[in-house]
Amino acid sequence: MSGPAQEVKSIGLRAWLLSSSPASRRQARLGRTYLAWLAFQSNHLAVFGLSIVVALILLAIFAPLVAPYDPNAQVLADRLQFFSAAHPFGTDELGRDIFSRVIHGSRLTLYIVILVAVIAAPIGLAVGTTAGYFGGWVDKVLMRITDIFLAFPKLVLALALVSALGPGIENAIIAIAITSWPPYARIARAETLTIRNSDFISAVRLQGAGRARIIWSHIVPLCTSSLIVRVTLDMAGIILIAAGLGFLGLGAQPPLPEWGAMISAGRNVLLNQWWVATVPGVAIFIVSLGFNLLGDGLRDVLDPKSGGQG
Amino acid sequence: MIEVENLNVVFGHGADRVHAVRNVTFRVPEGATFGLVGESGSGKSTVLRALSGLNPDWSGRICIAGEDQTRRRDKAFYKLAQMVFQDPYGSLHPRHTVDRILMEPLAIHGFDEPDRRIEQVLGEVGLGPSFRFRYPHQLSGGQRQRVAVARALILEPRILLLDEPTSALDVSVQAEVLNLLQRLKKERGLTYILVSHNLSVVGHMCDDLAVMNHGLVVEELAVAQLKRREPRHPYTRQLMVASLGYDRAAVDKFEDFGAEG
Amino acid sequence: MERAKNEKPLLTIEDLKVDFPTRKGVVEAVRGISLSLGREKLGIVGESGSGKSLTGRSILRLVTRPGVVTARRLEFDGIDLQRASEAQMRQIRGQRISMVMQDPKFSLNPVMRVGEQIAEAYRTHQKVAPAEARRRTLEMLKAVRIRDPERVARAYPHEVSGGMGQRIMIAMMLIPDPDLLIADEPTSALDVTVQLQVLAILDDLVTQRGMGLILISHDLNLVASFCDRVIIMYAGRVMEVCDAKNLDAAQHPYTRGLLNCLPKIDGDGSSLPVLRRDPAWLEHGQ
Repeated sequence: MSGPAQEVKSIGLRAWLLSSSPASRRQARLGRTYLAWLAFQSNHLAVFGLSIVVALILLAIFAPLVAPYDPNAQVLADRLQFFSAAHPFGTDELGRDIFSRVIHGSRLTLYIVILVAVIAAPIGLAVGTTAGYFGGWVDKVLMRITDIFLAFPKLVLALALVSALGPGIENAIIAIAITSWPPYARIARAETLTIRNSDFISAVRLQGAGRARIIWSHIVPLCTSSLIVRVTLDMAGIILIAAGLGFLGLGAQPPLPEWGAMISAGRNVLLNQWWVATVPGVAIFIVSLGFNLLGDGLRDVLDPKSGGQG
Repeated sequence: MIEVENLNVVFGHGADRVHAVRNVTFRVPEGATFGLVGESGSGKSTVLRALSGLNPDWSGRICIAGEDQTRRRDKAFYKLAQMVFQDPYGSLHPRHTVDRILMEPLAIHGFDEPDRRIEQVLGEVGLGPSFRFRYPHQLSGGQRQRVAVARALILEPRILLLDEPTSALDVSVQAEVLNLLQRLKKERGLTYILVSHNLSVVGHMCDDLAVMNHGLVVEELAVAQLKRREPRHPYTRQLMVASLGYDRAAVDKFEDFGAEG
Repeated sequence: MERAKNEKPLLTIEDLKVDFPTRKGVVEAVRGISLSLGREKLGIVGESGSGKSLTGRSILRLVTRPGVVTARRLEFDGIDLQRASEAQMRQIRGQRISMVMQDPKFSLNPVMRVGEQIAEAYRTHQKVAPAEARRRTLEMLKAVRIRDPERVARAYPHEVSGGMGQRIMIAMMLIPDPDLLIADEPTSALDVTVQLQVLAILDDLVTQRGMGLILISHDLNLVASFCDRVIIMYAGRVMEVCDAKNLDAAQHPYTRGLLNCLPKIDGDGSSLPVLRRDPAWLEHGQ
């Protein structure tokens, strides 16, 4: 990578990124990313979604600094207070500051979402690309297994798994991940089937490439973008299932400030102290919306079928 | 260099059974260009795919560089014969730079000095080093086809299988690519098999040709015969008349050559 | 252009421009072309990116956004196509001017029987009974030399071959009896012999009905052997207009270059002359 730094200064970063004849691998990759960013940026709703997600991440990282109180500190004298300067979102039935709990809850939400994505997406990708590329009985076996998982409603299967594994946030994550991968496998397989017979795969076969190399470095990268889109769009659903499990007492256990569990706790006082359940509900709503908008924007940029990068 | 005897290719089973190539026999001497001509569905590309190892469902005898080939090919085979595809838009991976596309075969076969080889082959196909880190979408159709030729050449094969290499290109670009192929052949002493529906391209490039219709070779002839406008088979004659342009009177004389050939 | 003066032209285009605004500035796809067409076969030839297809599409107002079409004059049989309302354009499209595209697969509705589609095209513009439309449909299928019109009319588009599909398209486009047919690469996806057979059908129909035909193609030889006049386009400009039979005497270096770079059946395999593009062509044009 010979001195891109000087070039940057002399011809400007933008021109360097948009150059039609990049001089190094890094410049080519950065230029491509920049073009994708330009396309993404022109979609205002997507940028709005991205800022919600970024805000969530920042809140989660800096939760102890942002939150005015310890999320678990109980001050029974101050139970069920309405919004005030001291407690911007009021307090719950144990006198805990709801604002601080919602902020700390973002950590749990992010934790669940990231772990589910990290577990489910690679499983789906591996199963789908393998089934799609090999075809024949490999495809049949893998896809029937996928079908078995798809035959149950997601939440019901997750419930069954959690009741078998025992309640708790880790088990909830495992249960959600196990119920989330089958759609990814289907997407990856469908993509693989269209890619498998294209000339560029034939070409790399004719260079003597083995199956692992073809799947890993030629097919997987083309499936990832649609998978990223799908995973992002699914994030909202994952948050809702996690909240649902929390609500039913099968997810995060008290006193963890998980949003679903907070709603569950607040439902006893919903008629008189509505904010106790509503504030975490609004948080779930905003974050789900953010992920959905982001996913739509990413689809416009990444999905090869809807144009984008041609 | 290449001998094909009684090559048969059958796809599917039962009612869907398609006998795509029937008893095709031909030989190509080293350093020659052999043309396979026919219309769509004639089986010409299927022959090429069987030769290249892309299609394992064949029977008969394929002998390349003195060695009988089996259905599965080993790594060494791919250093001997490479292929250039018709569609320059579909034959390059859309997310890989030219550099990565050319690096791949070198990595698979463990060639040394990849940087030198990539720059050299890019120069040979008439693309400067400035093209090395571009993505396919930053290239024109002709430039893509040059990259495809470079990819085929980088393993230094002795045989190139060309599947309609210019039919998706503009005529001016076609001329450039044909010139490039001719020059490379001279420089490297390559043997070509050129599949095409265009008799002018075949007449220009080839030494001998076989005309295929419905999976059969209806006629094998030297290009000199074609140039003298003396093909024997009526199907070849009809193709020749058609390639000369539109002629209202001639069209009425066209026949439909059925599966019997 | 002398020929066009003898009769009242069917279509007159003056200074047609098509612009595409992009992030990097405006791309001028068609840069001021003029032509006039009588009841004749006119060929527009050019390489990809020459603007030949956009020229055809702008006549029918089929250029999609963000493309912007402007012209000093765009007149079809006394109608100002630029001023025409959308409703008027719908009347003109199909009934008076028809268009045949390259790939019939994308132009035919996959879930409708061929016969129904042609009959519907007819009944959109003509108030006739279904039975009459059906009779005309079979007649039209026969006119494009489909041997078994009854069977083909019952078929779905995926059940017919490429050549057959293109004949069906032509039947569908010609059934309202238009005055002008624009054919954009109508035969490029077909085998050579089928290609010529389809062109022969077009040729006969155009001659019988006294229509105007614009054939847009990349194949200079084919167009020259088929049309009366040929317009050669390059980079959105007209390079040269010549009578098809005098194509060999074409003067413009671009036309000469296109002709010379074609491989010949009796070529000797030596280097083909490569087309050199001259930026000055863009300034003069015609």
